[in-house]
Amino acid sequence: MSAPQVLLNDPNEYESEKASNSYLMAVVVIMFGLPLPIVNLIASVIFYVANRKAGHFVRWHCTQNLVAQVLTFFANAAGVYWTAGVVFGEREVTNTYIAYIMTLLLFNILEFIAAIYAAVRTRKGKHVSWWFFGPLTEVLVKG
Amino acid sequence: MDQQKVDLFLMTSGKYFEGYQLASIKEKLTKLDDAKLLQLQSVSLRDPIIMLIVSLIGGHFGIDRFVLGEVGLGVAKLLTCGGFGIWTIVDWFLIMGRTREINMQNFQQAMY
Repeated sequence: MSAPQVLLNDPNEYESEKASNSYLMAVVVIMFGLPLPIVNLIASVIFYVANRKAGHFVRWHCTQNLVAQVLTFFANAAGVYWTAGVVFGEREVTNTYIAYIMTLLLFNILEFIAAIYAAVRTRKGKHVSWWFFGPLTEVLVKG
Repeated sequence: MDQQKVDLFLMTSGKYFEGYQLASIKEKLTKLDDAKLLQLQSVSLRDPIIMLIVSLIGGHFGIDRFVLGEVGLGVAKLLTCGGFGIWTIVDWFLIMGRTREINMQNFQQAMY
């Protein structure tokens, strides 16, 4: 555990710019592809693939962003499917539906704010590990 | 190559490369024979800022990738209308780094 931490705390200018871009790109793509949850996931995958040979710091943050996007994608896709059923199908608006959509909205807003915060911090060369996604990324990214 | 010429090259062309590459460029230029100076000056280096502007304006048609010399990716981007817009946005954040990488490749090709 200790060896990657040293690498993560000592990125150079070039690495911190690329790592910051992974979060910044996610923020911009949210604005462009808001109705379609898959757009953000595809963009994160493309960015990850483009940076797969980069340094440990860049790969770590690209992976953290990708892992977060995967979970967000499934949550949002379920929300879109449910909403489509309500609008175009015969499903009814239930308390469960409203609770789910409100939770989803809160989750997306939190993810959006976290992405902006991570973009700013990583640009300064500081390592940002999100709750749940950080330890998961630690397991996925090998030094 | 004498130190003055090396410093002049780094001052004028430093922005075309990543910061961490400058030390190795300086080392290579110092060892370089003066006869290769003309060859070095003919290296095609692209400005990352200009490439970002090209990507913002013509990214949907893959113009940025064509300009960088990546014709295959350019055609793919052109045919998919910039990867249905997604690839275009991702490239806004990748193109500057990619430009610097290609500049370094061109520089190294000119050296050997």
